[in-house]
Amino acid sequence: MLAIESSQRGGETNPRAVRETFRSLHTIKGLSAMVGIEPVVAIAHRMENFLRDSDRSGGALPQSAIDALLRGVRAIEQRIAALGRGDSAAAPSDELLVALDSLGLGAGPVARSAVAVLDLDPDLLGKLAPFEVDQLMRGIAAGQRALRAEFNPSPERAAQGLTINSVRERMANVADIVRVLPRAVPVTPAAPGGLCFILILLSRSSDEVIAEAVGLGSTNLHSIARQPATPQVEVEPQRAVEDGLDDTEHGAIDTHARRGVVRVDVNRLDDAMEGLSALIVTRYRLARSIASLTERGVNTRELSEIMKDNARQLRDLRAAIVRVRMVPVSELLERIPLLVRGLRRATQRSVRLELEGGNAELDKSVSERLFPVIVHLVRNAVDHAIETPDERLRRGKPEEGLLRVTCSARGSARLEITVSDDGRGIDRAAVAKKAGRVAPGDDAGLLDLLCIPGLSTRDIVTTTSGRGMGMEIVKRTIVDELGGELSVQSQFGQGTTFTVRVPLTISIVDAFSFECGEQRFVVPVAMVDEIIEVDPNALVQVPANDDGSPAVDIISRRGMALPMIRLAQVFRLNATNNACGKAIVVRRAGSPVAFAVDRMLGQQEVVIRPIKDALVRAPGVSGATDLGDGRPTLVLDLVALSASLAHFVTADGLKPAALPAARTR
Amino acid sequence: MKLHVVFSLGNAEYALPFESVLQMESYVGATLVPGAPAYVEGIVTVRGLVVPVLDLRTRFGLPRAELRLDTRIIVTESAGRVVALRVDSAREVLKLDVAKHQPAPQIVNERSSGFVHAVHSLGNRLLLLLDLPKLLGENSHDRQLSALPEDDGSSAHQQLPS
Repeated sequence: MLAIESSQRGGETNPRAVRETFRSLHTIKGLSAMVGIEPVVAIAHRMENFLRDSDRSGGALPQSAIDALLRGVRAIEQRIAALGRGDSAAAPSDELLVALDSLGLGAGPVARSAVAVLDLDPDLLGKLAPFEVDQLMRGIAAGQRALRAEFNPSPERAAQGLTINSVRERMANVADIVRVLPRAVPVTPAAPGGLCFILILLSRSSDEVIAEAVGLGSTNLHSIARQPATPQVEVEPQRAVEDGLDDTEHGAIDTHARRGVVRVDVNRLDDAMEGLSALIVTRYRLARSIASLTERGVNTRELSEIMKDNARQLRDLRAAIVRVRMVPVSELLERIPLLVRGLRRATQRSVRLELEGGNAELDKSVSERLFPVIVHLVRNAVDHAIETPDERLRRGKPEEGLLRVTCSARGSARLEITVSDDGRGIDRAAVAKKAGRVAPGDDAGLLDLLCIPGLSTRDIVTTTSGRGMGMEIVKRTIVDELGGELSVQSQFGQGTTFTVRVPLTISIVDAFSFECGEQRFVVPVAMVDEIIEVDPNALVQVPANDDGSPAVDIISRRGMALPMIRLAQVFRLNATNNACGKAIVVRRAGSPVAFAVDRMLGQQEVVIRPIKDALVRAPGVSGATDLGDGRPTLVLDLVALSASLAHFVTADGLKPAALPAARTR
Repeated sequence: MKLHVVFSLGNAEYALPFESVLQMESYVGATLVPGAPAYVEGIVTVRGLVVPVLDLRTRFGLPRAELRLDTRIIVTESAGRVVALRVDSAREVLKLDVAKHQPAPQIVNERSSGFVHAVHSLGNRLLLLLDLPKLLGENSHDRQLSALPEDDGSSAHQQLPS
């Protein structure tokens, strides 16, 4: 639609785009009718009719038509979304239908009544949907032959490969199938199953061609167009023929492109992943019992070999399933222009959108959670950040605002998305005042402020922003749910850039397992900067506060002072030994922090299960996993943990405003 | 007549509607979650779900008990949340006539912080009927909910039978 509009704006027509849209709508209508979603059928049918007419007149559409059509698209989307939630699809508003109907005024409605033209049993005619009757009428008017074919399934015919499915498939090559109606008939030698399928067709082929292609006798074909045909039948046969040629040509291209592609319900992929997860857990149990056999002196050499093969196979299988779940990031990005278009109209802003996306792929579930975040950031940018054209001119900026959305893969495991604008920037002092805090000194502090629950910098709730998801939810989605990072750079008066980094996949990750205070934990490898040996002699203890905050040590690493926090102390675990062994170094917004642990256990693939219940949600804990002992092991997000402890570890001596949530809950 | 799961805790017997119980399991301990409230023992995995375990003894102000062979967790579901309750033992499923539920005496209601919404006499036994939504609902620290003006605690109060 947007392609049509943009060429329209350039004063050109885009018949190809019009035709493609028409075809998509036709498919939507057909599929909806198949599953009985009448509201969608009604909308799609009207849009399709209009586009068909527009296509015949060379693909020109008035601007008002594009608005109405987009509304139609949105109405269909809403209904599909409603169905997805398990609600019923609302009937379309009369106003919308009238708007869509009035688009097609030039084409003129089908004048003659169906009964007058179609030679069909009233019983059959009654079973056809209005749009199907309409399709037949238009087909006849365009010089096609309307036919009724009968197919009686029998074991004998099935043995020859003739089933309703094969008939349907072959028929589709020589005719348009308008509808297939099953009918119960008396059992006769011709119809041993007592069942007859009636195919209502439109075709340009002769009876013989159809009969041959499908493998049915021509006696099974009957014309359903009443003779004598009115003069209208002769309407521009030449153009109609061209249409027909176009149709077959495109059809061939389409089927070719789709060959070998399967559309799969995400739930099925989840099931496969779930199965794989169970396999991985079982493998750990196996590894454990082999280890205990070895301890008892049993020769397990051969078993260990098998386990090695098994590990490799599991890794391959995991990679295969993960690949299946990947969707191109362009799927996300191509939804943005439509969003920006809507915002442009709703906010009266003039915005130019620059999209820059790589060909990265990411997990479907990540993609689904990421999209609302991008929507939010884009909305904020257009509605809050970019000034009105007048204001921009006054400030010496180009009248048209610039919104840039970029997307690129960072290494093999992360995706970076930026949303930047050249708008007014964020006024730190104003945000701080609103939140009742002191003005932050840097962008990281600003982000913390923006993510305070319930904070809105707007006093008025506008139609596009200020409602729904706030920055707090953005941060929670990115950081807590997806294990990613969120950062902001804002120059007051110049513009703002939000940067989101998320892992490409979530559920299964490589992780280090370690022990601390007699409890086991894991931390994703991707999060760890390095693991260092802690030399107790190179430790400088920072005097502890008496407010119960965890002690911070300073260790020297390659000549740099590195703050170190004892994990056992943060989590209030029974610290077994004070002379700590190892420390895991993570980076938060560029600055490294070390977490002291008792000992490292190893590296393995773990299946991360989300911790959903609020009772057991804690900062720094991103999920749980099963290492084969039947008990959950906590998966730690040390980056988030260091963020929640930020006040203790920053060097500028900030007093904590409150104890971290982990300790007060 | 409705099916109820009966369990014991201290010297009292409690009942939960059968349809709110997903399963019962013997209990060997949970994984500690740092920062969780004192009455949360930790998490366990049930059918692939990570589920918090509430120690009902601590919740009801009783002294903690050692793990025994009898110790059970009852996995419950209420308003989409799945939470396991650690109890001393759980052996019975009984049919109870809902019409014979009596409102909990004021003092019981107060002493149990409103978690017992009714009592049921069965011969010489007295069963305390647990208000599961309230027991779970009041502990919701859901950050999204707490961002809203009304906290969910007040709505849980409205569900209480007067």
